[in-house]
Amino acid sequence: MIYFDNAATTGKKPLAVIKTVTTALQEYSANPGRSGHNLSIKTATAVYNVREKVANFFGASGAENVVFTLNCTQSINLVLKGVLKRGDHVIVSSLEHNAVMRPLKKIGISFDVAKVSLEDDEKTLEAFKNAIKPNTKMIFCTAASNVCGKLLPLEAIGKLCLKRHLLFGVDAAQGAGVLPINMGRMNIDYLCVAPHKGLYAPMGIGILICQKDIENTIIEGGTGTNSLELFQPTILPEKFESGTVNVPAILGVGAGLEYVEKLGLDKIYTHEMMLIKNLYKSLSKMDEIRLYTPPPQKDLYAPVLAFNYGDYKSDYVAEYLSQNGVAVRGGYHCAPIAHKHLGTLENGAVRVSVATFNTAKEIESLVHLLNSKKIRKKL
Amino acid sequence: MKGLIITTGSITHAIKGRDLLRKNGFKARISKRISGKNANGCAYEIYVDSNDYSIENLLLKSGIKIVDIN
Repeated sequence: MIYFDNAATTGKKPLAVIKTVTTALQEYSANPGRSGHNLSIKTATAVYNVREKVANFFGASGAENVVFTLNCTQSINLVLKGVLKRGDHVIVSSLEHNAVMRPLKKIGISFDVAKVSLEDDEKTLEAFKNAIKPNTKMIFCTAASNVCGKLLPLEAIGKLCLKRHLLFGVDAAQGAGVLPINMGRMNIDYLCVAPHKGLYAPMGIGILICQKDIENTIIEGGTGTNSLELFQPTILPEKFESGTVNVPAILGVGAGLEYVEKLGLDKIYTHEMMLIKNLYKSLSKMDEIRLYTPPPQKDLYAPVLAFNYGDYKSDYVAEYLSQNGVAVRGGYHCAPIAHKHLGTLENGAVRVSVATFNTAKEIESLVHLLNSKKIRKKL
Repeated sequence: MKGLIITTGSITHAIKGRDLLRKNGFKARISKRISGKNANGCAYEIYVDSNDYSIENLLLKSGIKIVDIN
């Protein structure tokens, strides 16, 4: 199978990640931060070492600011529900995932949507500026659209937040491991990461990095410390890590990070963008194909591309490709406001998202399938 | 007794402190605090082979939250 659904999760995990997870199950099968025996301390140390790697990779100020969660969605929920209070106002982008939109709806916080320009980051920045109100507390936005790959100008938005004394939260589900994200340089207060995507870790693990405090918790319970107190500890990362953490997945994050660092972000991004640019070029020559963005340019787009085939439902096209050995994702990608922005609410879109292991030959195979007469008969 | 015992309310802070002290030339190890030692319950301690209280500043500067030092 040709796997182009890497924005959902990277389809092939590096051997080092697989080996590390196996080793974790064999040699680190003790609960970190609960007991005092050697194996528990050894496991806690291994977990700590991953926190340190994550903090260094994303330019965070300390390993203790790195919180391991269930997934990126939980990380986002922890930020939005833990920081925002009634009367606060938030600005999000027009490309957000439901991981951001649904928590905001649930807590009933007032928000505005800043329209992202698909071509001009200055216009995007203006849209954020214009949406600021006296009670705006935070800008929370995606690093890259999970539908069309458009990057948000994080550094410029971070500067705006600093200037206007706003908190800045970023959903880096699609950007981490592909783009250079530095919390210090970009003035990001809260970074939410899905390491099973661009960091090639196993599924079932998320990361939240906090440079500023989050007042309220949404889950309380055992942390292995202050056990006689009925109050949740206020110290990071334990404040947000009640219950046993996913040690095999956490150690897998460490191995995934090493894989990405060894390849280098530049090399990864250049390779993946080359594939997406090739695809865009080929698709743009086909009359039946509808594209929704300008040609993807370096530093403006992540290696994700949305298209449709004529007026057909995107899920039918995805199903056809699946039957012919190519995995892509059709539908709405849990991001209805992004589809509204792109004008694809009726049919959704077919999304192609690549990773380090994808090749130019695989892109050619996809183009060949979309060009074949077979598709017209099938749809 | 030779050395200090630094109590932290977090295994993460204890490990960070232990590693920092080792990088600065101290011999340090961590251990779970004995039950009943104080009112809060479980905690982790860094045992360091020094009576130099300036190490408290070293730890605090690195953001390590110290519950007790003696």
